[in-house]
Amino acid sequence: MIRVPMEGKVLNENEKAAAALRAEFSRHNVFVVNLIGSPGCGKTALLERTLESFDPSRRVAVLTGDIQTDADAARLARYGFPVRQITTAGACHLDARMVRNALDGWDLANLDLLFIENVGNLVCPTSYDLGEAHKIVLLSVTEGEEKPLKYPGIFFKADLMAMTKIDLLPYVPFRADVAERNARQIHPGIEIVRVSSTTGAGMEDWLRWLRAASAGLAVHFMLAGNNCRAPV
Amino acid sequence: MHEVGIAAGILDAVRKETAMRPAARAVKVGVRIGEMAGIDPESLAFCFEALVKGSDLEPLALEIHRAPADELEFVFLELEEP
Repeated sequence: MIRVPMEGKVLNENEKAAAALRAEFSRHNVFVVNLIGSPGCGKTALLERTLESFDPSRRVAVLTGDIQTDADAARLARYGFPVRQITTAGACHLDARMVRNALDGWDLANLDLLFIENVGNLVCPTSYDLGEAHKIVLLSVTEGEEKPLKYPGIFFKADLMAMTKIDLLPYVPFRADVAERNARQIHPGIEIVRVSSTTGAGMEDWLRWLRAASAGLAVHFMLAGNNCRAPV
Repeated sequence: MHEVGIAAGILDAVRKETAMRPAARAVKVGVRIGEMAGIDPESLAFCFEALVKGSDLEPLALEIHRAPADELEFVFLELEEP
């Protein structure tokens, strides 16, 4: 009997596909974020509000993942930006191959910002790198403030936590400070914004985070009316 | 939920590794899984066993080492050589 060392990541095929995507995004200066959260936490609503705030000339696109239906793509397409639905037909997460296939026919040279809305799930999407620059975890105030402790993986890997539905804070027992403390217990460096896609509260903080996070890239998707250069 | 895919990935990697050593038979594969990797070790072990059963790799065993962060990587492969 011999024992040989074995190297590499278990999800090697996905890692390879994700690395290829990341190189491709980097070559075309596309800033990519992967939005992850429970079903119903407001991923699509946040994207709707975000797209609504962008000038139509901005070079922004969305891939949205669901197990079934293209309902989210229909919602998001109303804002005039390119949107594609990825229907996973049962799979509980997106993987890099699905993203690559969904990008087929899109010229990345014409894009500055790509949102990937993952399947509603706090567990499985954690393990699958999609070539994104950042994972963003959404936690709505109608969930429990202990969620970061129950699902530590995604809070550990996400660079930003967006606390959503904050307009409901007066009506639910959710303690926002406790939720934030729990998130920081898992990931001390995690950044946090509080937003309401319904009232628009906190949207500026979210958009400011996006701008800051993409600052290293030649990305031009700022808010309409802001001082921004024309797309290169 | 996604542990079946992870288990299938492990089997594929073992097949690739043993393809380079046609005379050997894989006996056990070791993987390191972090607390933050989003993988339930028990569920992974269950899926692994289910996939191995009746396959060309039976009776391959899985050894899981826990780790603190988001590790999800191979550690070793045990082979029986004639």
